[in-house]
Amino acid sequence: MLLDFDRLGALRAVLSGIAVLVGAFLLLPVIVIVLLSFGSSRYLQFPPPSWTLHWYTDLFNDPDWLASFATSAEIAIVVAIVATLLGLMASFGLTRGRFRGRETLRAVFMTPMVMPVVVFAVALYALFLRLQLNGTFIGFVIAHLVIALPFAIISICNALEGFDKSIEDAAVLCGASPLEAKLRVTLPAIKAGLFGAAIFSFLASWDEVVVAIFMSSPDLQTLPVRIFSTLQQDLSPVIAAVSTVLVALTVLLMVIAAFFRRGKPA
Amino acid sequence: MNVTRRTVLYGAGLSLLGARVGSAATNEIVFTSWGGTTQDAQKKAWADPFQKSSGIRVRMDGPTDYGKLKAMVDSGNVSWDVVDVEGDFAVAAAKQGLLEPIDFSVVDRTQLDPRFTSDHYVGSFYYSFVLGFNKTALGKEPKSWADLFDTKGFSGKRTFYKWSAPGVLEIALLADGVPADKLYPLDLDRAFKKLDTIKSDIVWWNGGAQSQQLLASGEAALGQFWNGRVFAVQKDQEGIGISWNQNLTAADLLVVPKGTKNKAEAMKFLAVATAAKPQADMAAATDYAPINTDAAKLLPANERATLPDQHTDGQINLDMNYWADHREDIGKRWYEWQAK
Amino acid sequence: MSTTAMAFPGNRAVTRRPRRVSGFWPTSPALALLIVFFVAPLLGLLLRSVLDPHPGLQNYAEVFASTTYLRIFMNTFIVATVVTTATLLLAFPVAWFLAVAPRRWASLLFAVIILSMWTNLLTRTYAWMVLLQRTGIINKTLMSWGVIAAPLPLINNLIGVTIGMTYIMLPFMVLPLQGTIRSLDPATFRAASLCGAGRLQVFTRVFVPLVASGIGAGVLMVFVMSLGYFVTPALLGGTSNMMLAELIAQLVQSLLNWGLAGAAALILLVVSLGIYAIQFRFFGIRAAGEVE
Repeated sequence: MLLDFDRLGALRAVLSGIAVLVGAFLLLPVIVIVLLSFGSSRYLQFPPPSWTLHWYTDLFNDPDWLASFATSAEIAIVVAIVATLLGLMASFGLTRGRFRGRETLRAVFMTPMVMPVVVFAVALYALFLRLQLNGTFIGFVIAHLVIALPFAIISICNALEGFDKSIEDAAVLCGASPLEAKLRVTLPAIKAGLFGAAIFSFLASWDEVVVAIFMSSPDLQTLPVRIFSTLQQDLSPVIAAVSTVLVALTVLLMVIAAFFRRGKPA
Repeated sequence: MNVTRRTVLYGAGLSLLGARVGSAATNEIVFTSWGGTTQDAQKKAWADPFQKSSGIRVRMDGPTDYGKLKAMVDSGNVSWDVVDVEGDFAVAAAKQGLLEPIDFSVVDRTQLDPRFTSDHYVGSFYYSFVLGFNKTALGKEPKSWADLFDTKGFSGKRTFYKWSAPGVLEIALLADGVPADKLYPLDLDRAFKKLDTIKSDIVWWNGGAQSQQLLASGEAALGQFWNGRVFAVQKDQEGIGISWNQNLTAADLLVVPKGTKNKAEAMKFLAVATAAKPQADMAAATDYAPINTDAAKLLPANERATLPDQHTDGQINLDMNYWADHREDIGKRWYEWQAK
Repeated sequence: MSTTAMAFPGNRAVTRRPRRVSGFWPTSPALALLIVFFVAPLLGLLLRSVLDPHPGLQNYAEVFASTTYLRIFMNTFIVATVVTTATLLLAFPVAWFLAVAPRRWASLLFAVIILSMWTNLLTRTYAWMVLLQRTGIINKTLMSWGVIAAPLPLINNLIGVTIGMTYIMLPFMVLPLQGTIRSLDPATFRAASLCGAGRLQVFTRVFVPLVASGIGAGVLMVFVMSLGYFVTPALLGGTSNMMLAELIAQLVQSLLNWGLAGAAALILLVVSLGIYAIQFRFFGIRAAGEVE
């Protein structure tokens, strides 16, 4: 009965209250940023003295910002896809495999998360310089892949472990090949885990600053690097405008997604 | 956007084939600086004229990262041709053999301020650390570094530069009464003791922009700032004051990393960047002082007034050589003290 | 026991894999990636930490001998623990809500969470700086309501770091947890209450154990991430609760002392892996129904 919302009684108010507070907490900075992007003060003053659109005109007139948007998006999408794929395979091995050192291997897969990013960035950069991979698209993808993989693995392992394998076995018994069974039974069942893996991997790459600073070259600058150097140097509300545009895009995507999901069962 | 995208994909394709993306051709160089409006000004004042006159393309990169620079030089795979770095780093890097010597047959040394010129670097621009304050928040005007340490007379948070670099320790010593000509070698114990007296009131700024933000918002009532930053805030709002009393000069320097493939072109760029007119243009745009001694004449009087070279009364030059020699030791003690 | 070889009439017999090393190969592409692009640089780092500037273990000696480093290590673990706890306390009710509330409200909250995740990390952190300042909107509002007389120090200290990092870590714990809760079978709960268990008992003895793996995954992820984080703590924290990653960044980028940086990083790595090992031993994530 703890899972039945209507029968929670007093708990319902508590949960709802917390949900509302946390929602507000999550939204607060986003709202601040959106408002700041229309503020006329050069400094991040809240509330702003008056309103203006010129940060947006600055933004759209600057081809470098648009280029870094594109670069970040391209890299992040590739990273999301590959990380989910590799993570899926690795998770199968980690949850179903039976071999010595399995848990050690799992820990090894987690280590990129533990490693202080700046150290990894320098070490990897030194390696890339030798391999001539610095400043290249594929070098960037590889670097972010290493960072994103633990997230993908955690998400998918979690989902796989909550999945009752006997359903997959039953499919095999009914005549499917092991691969078919995985594709048509298991994957749909762990959809949430796959989705989580893709999202976390995308974000890990999209937001990543330190490694990106090392991997960047004049041709290949990601958004976070641009934002970082602007924040250090200028603190101009153009940053707020950049973020607001992203927020607007996200909202748009979510609205579109909601339209498509209408009518589909939960 | 189309051109850039194409370039990215083309570059990606090339790099997949193992070719290196970067300035492999000798008709372009990479100039690296700190980003933002300063680099924009450097582009307009130096890179664009250079490109026009020499036909050599200048690509902008950044932000300057010493870890990246060292890794590049160590591996022999250097993609930065000219880099704008902080003064004490340039001196230290030269000692560590990370830099190419400057070709003074190409770069005209006679016009360059000797304080900021040596075998392995030339000046980029120079600035002063000044005492900036928010008059509205304080109610009165601090006049000297000692006032920064007077929490009773001037209440509120103070802000200083966060990283281990020339400036803060000297300020502490000056405030403690050390005469300007006896600053070096730095008495670290005395400096840290003095800083301890206000440590809980310090808010650190780790970038120029943040320092402006703190000053403008009143979050920090007074503190140590780059002169150009205080000036910028003053342009935008009322009630911000500046004191040049015992201002401390330091400079950004231009260096050429060792092993760059475009050394000759880099030197040509340096010749342009340090010439009088480009330096004057840069100063006018950023309010930082030129390192070319003839450049100041080219500036109108009202712009000159805000430059550090007009406030030489009691001005103190931070000792880059001393800092380069002791960078590591001071750095360690600095971060240890900060973490306490 | 992972694959059965029951041969039903008219059915394909499933190949039986050799018992000893079974199911390893799917991990190999990911593993190969890690070995070349993570382990190899790591080894390079290890070499540097014992060779730079002179061969020997003096970098490690320096780290262990320095009270500053030890204090920073402690700080790092304390902050990570505080952040993880705060995140868990907020994430659990939110995840629960997301899993059971009516679709409309759950989707709305979900959208808010995704939205906050999409905003760039640096920008979000700066927004918090603006909000938490002494002259920021939170203090101004509280003062104008008369709740406080002087501005609260909400930034450049542990409070600021906790708020900022919890904000960023929340989605990482909420999303896996709500997935786990959603996958629970309500029948189990009904059965428990039919057997006479009261609300609290169902909660502690049925609910929590069943979501333990989700909680464990989330806690581990957030804790470990917090250990290595440095952007948010650098901007929102004070220097007296400096975290290790920031110190290492200074060593690498400001002092160019890679030997020492490498030593500090490797120590952090070893300690964190140790924590992992303990975690797995005691709360080892076991598959539901898997018989080992």
